[in-house]
Amino acid sequence: MRYGRSRKTPTLSHWLAGLCLFVGAWLHGVAVQAADILLTGAEESPGVQAFVQALSELRPTDTVRFQPLASLPAPGKLPTSLRLILLDLPSLDWRLQDAQGPATLVLRISRLQARQRLGTSQPAHLSLLWSDPPLSRQLQLIRHMLPQARRVGVLFGEHSEFLLQELNLAARPLDLQIVSQRWDNIHDSRPLQAVLKNSDVLLGLDDPDLYNPKTAKNLLLSSYSRQIALVGPNVAFVRAGSLASTYSDQNDWLRLLDQLLDQSPASWPRALYPARFKVSSNAQVARSLGIEPADDVSVATTLIEGERRP
Amino acid sequence: MFVGSLPPRSSLLLALLVCPAVQADDLFLDSEALPQVLTATRLKQTPAQVPGSMTVLDTELINASGARDISELLRLVPGMMVGNISGNQAAVNYHGTNASTARRMQVLIDGRSVYRAGLATVDWSDIPVAMEDIERVEVFRGPNTVSYGANALMAVVNIITRHPADSHGTRLKYTRGQRGINDFYASQGTGWNGGDLRLSLSGQEDDGFDSDRNGADYRDSRRLNRLSLAVSHTLNDEQSLDWQINAKDGTNQRPYTYQPVFSGITAAGNNSDVVAKDYAGSMRWNLDLNPQHSLYIQGSAQHWDRQQTWRACDAEVSFSPELAQLWQLNPNYTERLARNITRFTGPGAAPGTPQEMALANQVLEQWRNGASRTVCGDIDQSARESRYDLELQDTLSLSDSLRLVSGLNYRYDRANSETYFNGTLDDTTWRAFGQLEWRASEHWLLQGGAMFEDTRLIGSSLTPRFAVNYLINPRHSVRAVYSEAIRSPDMFENNVNWSYQVSHLRPSAYGQSSARYFVKTRGPGDLDQEHIRSRELGYNGYFAELGLALDVKVFHDEITGMISEPLRNNQYIASNANSSRFRGTETQLDWRVSRADRLRFTYAFVDAEASNPLDQQFSARNSGSAGWLRDWGHGWNSALFYYGDNALNGYRFERVDTRIAKRIALGKAQLQLAGVLQQRLDHEPSTFIDNNYDERRVMYVSAELEF
Repeated sequence: MRYGRSRKTPTLSHWLAGLCLFVGAWLHGVAVQAADILLTGAEESPGVQAFVQALSELRPTDTVRFQPLASLPAPGKLPTSLRLILLDLPSLDWRLQDAQGPATLVLRISRLQARQRLGTSQPAHLSLLWSDPPLSRQLQLIRHMLPQARRVGVLFGEHSEFLLQELNLAARPLDLQIVSQRWDNIHDSRPLQAVLKNSDVLLGLDDPDLYNPKTAKNLLLSSYSRQIALVGPNVAFVRAGSLASTYSDQNDWLRLLDQLLDQSPASWPRALYPARFKVSSNAQVARSLGIEPADDVSVATTLIEGERRP
Repeated sequence: MFVGSLPPRSSLLLALLVCPAVQADDLFLDSEALPQVLTATRLKQTPAQVPGSMTVLDTELINASGARDISELLRLVPGMMVGNISGNQAAVNYHGTNASTARRMQVLIDGRSVYRAGLATVDWSDIPVAMEDIERVEVFRGPNTVSYGANALMAVVNIITRHPADSHGTRLKYTRGQRGINDFYASQGTGWNGGDLRLSLSGQEDDGFDSDRNGADYRDSRRLNRLSLAVSHTLNDEQSLDWQINAKDGTNQRPYTYQPVFSGITAAGNNSDVVAKDYAGSMRWNLDLNPQHSLYIQGSAQHWDRQQTWRACDAEVSFSPELAQLWQLNPNYTERLARNITRFTGPGAAPGTPQEMALANQVLEQWRNGASRTVCGDIDQSARESRYDLELQDTLSLSDSLRLVSGLNYRYDRANSETYFNGTLDDTTWRAFGQLEWRASEHWLLQGGAMFEDTRLIGSSLTPRFAVNYLINPRHSVRAVYSEAIRSPDMFENNVNWSYQVSHLRPSAYGQSSARYFVKTRGPGDLDQEHIRSRELGYNGYFAELGLALDVKVFHDEITGMISEPLRNNQYIASNANSSRFRGTETQLDWRVSRADRLRFTYAFVDAEASNPLDQQFSARNSGSAGWLRDWGHGWNSALFYYGDNALNGYRFERVDTRIAKRIALGKAQLQLAGVLQQRLDHEPSTFIDNNYDERRVMYVSAELEF
């Protein structure tokens, strides 16, 4: 399908191919020599296979391979020239047992999960690539889709409380007020009621203690009955009835990995949110809340522009 | 898959640039299976899309109003005429018609219709729901039998209680004030894995109005207690079950209003109080077949028990079999004889047919022989009414722009009253309805539907409804609505069989301790439905930048085949001979001026014309309300409301209500102290001449603890 598109427009594709060839050749020229890239995780699911395949196609000069976690020696025994990419939390636990070892990119980890595993410290050899949407980006999305909203309700639990400070900092320049509310017992809906009462919009933190299949119904129905939109925490929630969320998909991650793998591991950032992202919104919910229909691509473009030129 | 000389890496890059589509097996997108909660069938229309006029009274407004009764709350609805028959009997009608019988409105509590089965009125004070349990009140201003069923002739009041999942914790409230106000409310809500419940107990007491037209104490106080249990179960992702049990028990005082027919009777009873009990239970099973298709089945059972036994006195001759026979022959002749009996004792019966004169002379003979003496006995005006209702409603989203709501309804009504029906009377109603909502384009929204109803006692009818909304944008629309609706006469209007069997007579009448009073009235039995044709043009808009919501409409409603005759037991001749016309304009404005301030205005101009003057009484030409809600910070809130009608049943009504509340945090608990002051600005009785307060001002305070 992807290639089919370029076949349909041969002149454009030839032109682009030429450009890509040039860019590729240039990249090859400046990049370090062929690297050995090892991806690992507890299971080799079809999703993992597809991702490894896509990455190896993206980096044909590198050796890209997947090895299940169980078959790997201790991280310290791996060659330091290796580029290690972790795909899940068990692999992170495995990596953490050894301070020595190759430079490591950690994928599919949220701020919350990192905090639970690592506390406030962060081992030097790890680059954490956050899977949850950055809070400032979600706030920008709110600002864009609901320009009248000022009070942003946020439910937090013991594991997500540490995000509040950052959230408040991000809200200030946008002239948004964070109305935070602790929610420790999901069977008690009073905190939810309290926050909805004092907010114009509800922002969902990517905290599975609070946002999960058990709570989804109550969260969405309660907020909707007060005509308050939920923004975030992820795409699955948008399908369920949340108004919108920003997210990065496999393509965005591949782009980011491609850039990072071109660099020397010494220059890898300690932690990073992907700069490329998309917006997913629920048109039916938007319509029912009387919100102007928005084109997801153009909203994302506007937000990306905004991030480039703050 | 390889195209020409393009290196795969670059071609993938290219693909990334041109192919932003989300992939199903994307490792980075949450694979977590979440059910679709806000489905096409669950989502509601925005105010701009509603095929008619709607007023929503939200929790904030309900609290701020300080209202103790649902009827008082409805003063916030433009065009709603709210008055009082007595302190414990509210009269609420949209646009108007008769002041003493408000029977042309559908009132629903969580989808359960609460107008009485036999006498199609709403006993507002007896509804087994506490104000504190109400989440919001949605008032559909206009006829809508298509969506809400019979009786939705002029408007629909939809009372929605708080969902058990939204009512967790404990709430205790106590209210005390002047005019004997003494209310309490206590509720406990809890949730578990897959379910929630709320149990609430409440009570209400007050003295009603202070004095009647003569300045004497007016007997219209009330005492009541309610119990309500609401439970919700999530059976699985597709199914849920909600059920409720409600009960209310209380006493409504009524003054003794019986006027002896015969002269010289001075003995009298002292009251005709009512013990009013309401019970209701309902269960709704919701099934989401898929995100585009859902249905529910709701069954409910209700029972209204009105026990009204009181002692009345009149002359013994009231129980004369001959007088009763004469009444059957000629009520007018009989009434003239009875009311002026002393004038006929000398000269004998007034001219009439020989049979009438013979009977009249027998009666006069009895009078002369001692039947003029006073006898007193118990009158039992009790009524027990029941309703069983089963409804299936199906919502199908045929496409993103087409939605169909359809359903079937079965209802069984039964009324039992010796006095009104000489026993038991019942009726069954079948109803089928369908409404299609079609978004023809981004701007045009077309909605139409019809309802077919068949009642065993009255017959069948079909009513259509059409609405066109032009959406200037999602928040602004203009609309044109045409609808027809019907109201089937209730059992009382059509089938009344009204006579009093008086018991415990002292002294006995004609040797009997229990005898039948001579007046007997029968309903015509062949009444047809009332029919309304309504036309409406309106605008609805929400100015998001200002926080201002506005709705304006002009309307023209005509009711034909109207049953206007007052329900009296002397010579009740009901017919479909009357008609009414209402036209005018209504505006409502809700403006959140700032985060702290909210302003609200409503205004209605109603021009009423009715063939029967009684149907014109209850239309104020100008009516409206104004409100200002403010959050002062530090837990302080205030609300100021003005309500005014230029003339309701001939009496002006103007009142200013102020509520000041302070919220205090006590650890994890919240205490709210509030004071309400209502000040009447006019000096007139309320709706009826006997409804007077000694003071134009009333104050009550409340304390509410939540934890």
